[in-house]
Formats: sequence, structure tokens, C-alpha cells
Amino acid sequence: MNIIEADKIKKTYESNGLSVTALGGVDVAVKKGEFTALAGPSGSGKTTLLNIIGGLDAPTSGSIKVDNVDLAPLKAKALAEIRLTKIGFVFQAYNLIPVLTAIENVEYVLLLQGVGKKERRDRSVNVLEQVGLSDQVNRRPHELSGGQQQRVAVARAIVSEPAIVLADEPTANLDQKTGAKLCDMMRDLNEQKHITFLFSTHDSMVMERARRLIHLIDGKVVKEESKGKK
Amino acid sequence: MKNTKSEFISARLAWRNIWRNKRRTILTLLTIIAGCSMIVLLNSLGKGGHDQMIEDAVALNTGHIQVHEQGYWDNMTIDYAFEPSDKLVNYLDSGPDVQAFSERVVAGGLLSFKDTTRGVIIQGIDPLKEKTVTNLADKTRPEGRFLKPGDTTSVVVGKILAKNTGLIIGDKLAIISQGFDGSIAAERFTVVGILESGIPEFDRELMLIPISQAKETFSMMGFVHTIIIRLKDVSSVNKVKSGIIDIISGEETRLEVMGWEDLMPELVQYIVMDDVGAYIFDFILFMVVAFGILNTIQMSVFERTREFGVMLSIGTPPGQIVSIVLIESAIITFFGIIIGIAVGWAGGYYLQVNPIDYSSYTEELAVWGVSTTLFPAKVTTVNIFTTSALTFVLGLCFSIFPAYRASKLNPIEALRQL
Repeated sequence: MNIIEADKIKKTYESNGLSVTALGGVDVAVKKGEFTALAGPSGSGKTTLLNIIGGLDAPTSGSIKVDNVDLAPLKAKALAEIRLTKIGFVFQAYNLIPVLTAIENVEYVLLLQGVGKKERRDRSVNVLEQVGLSDQVNRRPHELSGGQQQRVAVARAIVSEPAIVLADEPTANLDQKTGAKLCDMMRDLNEQKHITFLFSTHDSMVMERARRLIHLIDGKVVKEESKGKK
Repeated sequence: MKNTKSEFISARLAWRNIWRNKRRTILTLLTIIAGCSMIVLLNSLGKGGHDQMIEDAVALNTGHIQVHEQGYWDNMTIDYAFEPSDKLVNYLDSGPDVQAFSERVVAGGLLSFKDTTRGVIIQGIDPLKEKTVTNLADKTRPEGRFLKPGDTTSVVVGKILAKNTGLIIGDKLAIISQGFDGSIAAERFTVVGILESGIPEFDRELMLIPISQAKETFSMMGFVHTIIIRLKDVSSVNKVKSGIIDIISGEETRLEVMGWEDLMPELVQYIVMDDVGAYIFDFILFMVVAFGILNTIQMSVFERTREFGVMLSIGTPPGQIVSIVLIESAIITFFGIIIGIAVGWAGGYYLQVNPIDYSSYTEELAVWGVSTTLFPAKVTTVNIFTTSALTFVLGLCFSIFPAYRASKLNPIEALRQL
């Protein structure tokens, strides 16, 4: 069953009267439980594709379905609801809410979904344990290291058990060792909880850990490769 | 349930964001505190000053309400007199809002002393009742005395009039006028007191004689020119006026009932002009506060563009972003108002106990018919409520734009912000 179905996605930007093509007719399908990387150099269209899949941006043409919901006709409010209920986001620069503690950042998503206080707290503690931060729950982002902040971001992304977690170069701001640990952690979550991950990267270490690689160059899919479990 | 929780997180986020930049929050609070306290204080001074001016003017000679025969106020001649009916007197005697009332006979005449002649206004008053209605008795200079029951041809003359004619206590003067019946009215009086009201018009022209003598001298035959009424509270003027109009509506003689605003239009004009100036100043202060709040919220939103981008990206409804910003503004404004009102009230109370002394401007104030020199402040609940409500509403209104702007951010562009 495909969680993501992107069909002939095109995206062009107008800049100073010039038309710049970011995506030139991309077809991507991601199945439930996959651990997939969009690989490619800077400017290849990875982030644009992730933004379109995440309902943050609209394609110039083509269709995109997430968990069988066609995003094209949806308005801003409905797209916000889709992002809240079906998609978890991990950003390159962590992007936690600075005035909330680690557990409050994780709880925030559940709170928006209207989950009750006890369940909210239990689930948040649970995912923070899974990402190895059970002793940092009451710290604010500025009291955590970059790696720890990104783990909180992953916990926030998975706590509501979304259909898919989209991660835009999640290791780009981390050192090699921390990045590798984060990647291993995400892959463990994928294996243990069957959470579908789709992330962009140009880091070979991350690509090595992906089970499926979709190579993008100049806004086009140039190669796809699948790897077995290591 | 979902909304309640969302509002709770909005409030929590707003509260913590307020303290992210303490210096800015404190500066904004100071702006609101200064604005609110100044508005409350200035309005208290205005209200207290105006009330005092009205009270002093009413207490000096005018009273809160006067009843005359129709046309008296416009013509001011001896011919416009009336005989107060028992019904009217009974109403004034028993009226719960009436503190006291007194009848007067008023006539123009010529004062003659030695080789000097002056035009004067002769006011026949009831020496006992007058003390309960006006404070003319208190304005009598200490070298003489006010009129007392049993006096017949005693007179109290204005200070400037005494100076211009050379009159001193004990002097005898003569007045010549026209009687109510058309006859010549002439009488000799002995000066027993000098009136120093502070109002040039009174001190230059006024002579006070006992009403019993005035009725005799001017052949009034039981008629009077004015009933002057002092109320327990100035706010019941219209109520008592209506009551009197109801009482006299069936009477044969057509009477006019005038409140202090009709009797002293120059004072009303002064108060209106003063109020207009105060409103302009209030408006400027309100705008300073409102733009202070706008500036803070705008800067706060601008600094958190990326954060709002993240919140929108992970599914925060735009309405909740608006809530967060507005709650932030509401909290700062609320605390600013509480402290500002407290400071303004404290200042107002201090100036109520220790009124501002304008005695060095006596002559300038006298031009407007104002004899007041001590201006106490008066903090009213209307002042506090209006200032609080307007500041709060303005604070929220001026936060709507930045709040709306934050909610309409494009998440992708917002995430690119540093």
C-alpha cells in the first residue's frame, strides 16, 4: 500500500521574469513502512519535493496523495489538519519551540490533536524514552545539544503516530558521529514501530543507512535503488 | 474540549514568550503604566477641578437652581416678580434632594454717598436662610459682619464698590430706585460689612440688604424675584428641575426654572473648553500607549517568524497563532493597566488630599467667573473604567495586524528566516 503517491510533479518558480524548474515531472511512490532517502546534490529538488509531499508547497502541475488524500484541492486550513494528523516533520535546524521544554514540545502536537492530558503525557514520556532522552524531558531547547534537540524533533514527529515522517536533511547540522546515531535511531524506530520515513540527504553516511534511495538530479529522478536490511 | 486545550497552550506560550525579552516587556509595561496613570491623574484633576469650580460658583451666589418669573433672567428688572405658592414652598421644604432654599428680592438702583453716585445691584436676602444656600456670609471681611436677623437698614457692600465710593463700616449711604408698584424707592442704610467674593462683578456692584427691608423699600407686596435652591448633590439638578416644573405647571404665573448650567454659561463654556483640551491630550496618550504595544508585538512577531513557520508547518491552525499573539498583547496590556491605574489612583488620591493651589492665578480665573483657587483631584470609577477599557481595547486592536500577519505567514518562507 502506497502512503505517498506523487505523479508527474512539476514545480517552476518565476524569478525576475525567468522561469526556474525545480522539479521536472517527478513520479515517486513510497510504501508503508519504508525507510527511504531522497538523495542528490544541492539544488536537485529534494527539499521542494518534500515540501510538496508535506503540503507546505503546491506543485505547478501533477498530483500528490498522502495516505490516499489528494492534497491538490485542499485549502490552507485543511492542509494544516493533514500536516497535523498524517505527517511528522523533522527539520534540518531542529526548529523546536524555544519556550517549551522537551516534553512540552513533544506534547504540543498531541495537544493540537485534542489528546487528553494523561495520555498526552504518557505518550510523550514514552517517545522521549525511545529516543534516549528520558532524563532530559524538562529541559528547554537551549539547554540541549544539537543532537539532543534533533532527537526531540524526531520524538515530536513520531508521537502522534503519523502516516509518514518527512525529514529534510536531518543530520546536516550534526557532526558525523551524532548524525549516524540519529540515523540509526530513526531506522530502529522504523523497524520497531513500522513508521514510514522519507528524508532528504546528500550525506553518504545517511544514504548507506537508507533501505531505498531515490536519486534526484536537476529536478528529475535519475535512479532508484533498494537495499535489504543490514 | 480541543479548543479549551488549544487556548491553554496559547496562554502558556504567550506567557513564556512575554518573558523571553524581559527588557522589551518591561519597557512596554512602563509605556502602558505611564500612559494609564497620566490619563487617570489628568482626568481626576479635571473632574475634581471642575466639580470644585461648580461647587464654589454655586455656593457663592447662584445656587444649583433658581426659580423666577418668566422673562426675569433676560430682562433683570424689578417688574418680573412672583408670589411663591404654598405648593412650591411645600415641595422645596419636603424635597429629599433639596438641601435648602431662600427667597431674594433683586433691584438695580443708585447708591449715593457724599458726592459719589454709583449704579448698584441691591440684593435683598434672608440672613439666616442665605447661610444655608450660599457662602456669601463667609466672604464678608472680618472688620465688619454679615447681615443678621433683626437687621433693618443694614447693608453689606462689595469691596471694590466700597473702595470706589470711600465707604467704610459705619458709614451711612442712600439708595434711590424704582419700586415694584412704580413708586420711587429710596432709603438710607448703614454699612455693617464689606463683601470680598473674589468675583470682580459682585465686588464692584453688589449690595446685600435684609429681604424684609427690601420688600418694604421696593413695595414688593409679598412678591420676590428669585427662589434660589441648593441641592444635596449637583447630579440631581435635572430631577429637581422636573419636579418643580411639574408643581408649577398648573399655576397662573408663568415661571422659569433654571439650573446652574443655564445660570452660569461662561463656567460651562470654560469646562467644555478645558474638557476638549483634556480629550486631545488623552487621545495623544492613548495613541502613545497603543503604538507602544503595536511596536512590541510587531517586533516580537518579526523575531519569531521562523518559530511561527515551524508551528504552522507541524499543523498549528492559523487561528491559534492569532490567539497566541493576542493573548500575549492582552497579558502585557492587562498588567500595564493594573499597575498604571494603581499609580494614577495613588497620585489622584494624593492630590485630592493635597489640592493644587492656583491662588497666584486668582485674577485670571476670576475672568471666567471662577473664584476657586484650590483644585483637588477626584478619581472616579468612570475614569478608571474608561481608561482601563479603552487601553485594553486599543492594545488588542493594535495587535490584530501583527497577529494576523503571523498567522498568514508562508511556512516555507518563514522557515528560511534566520
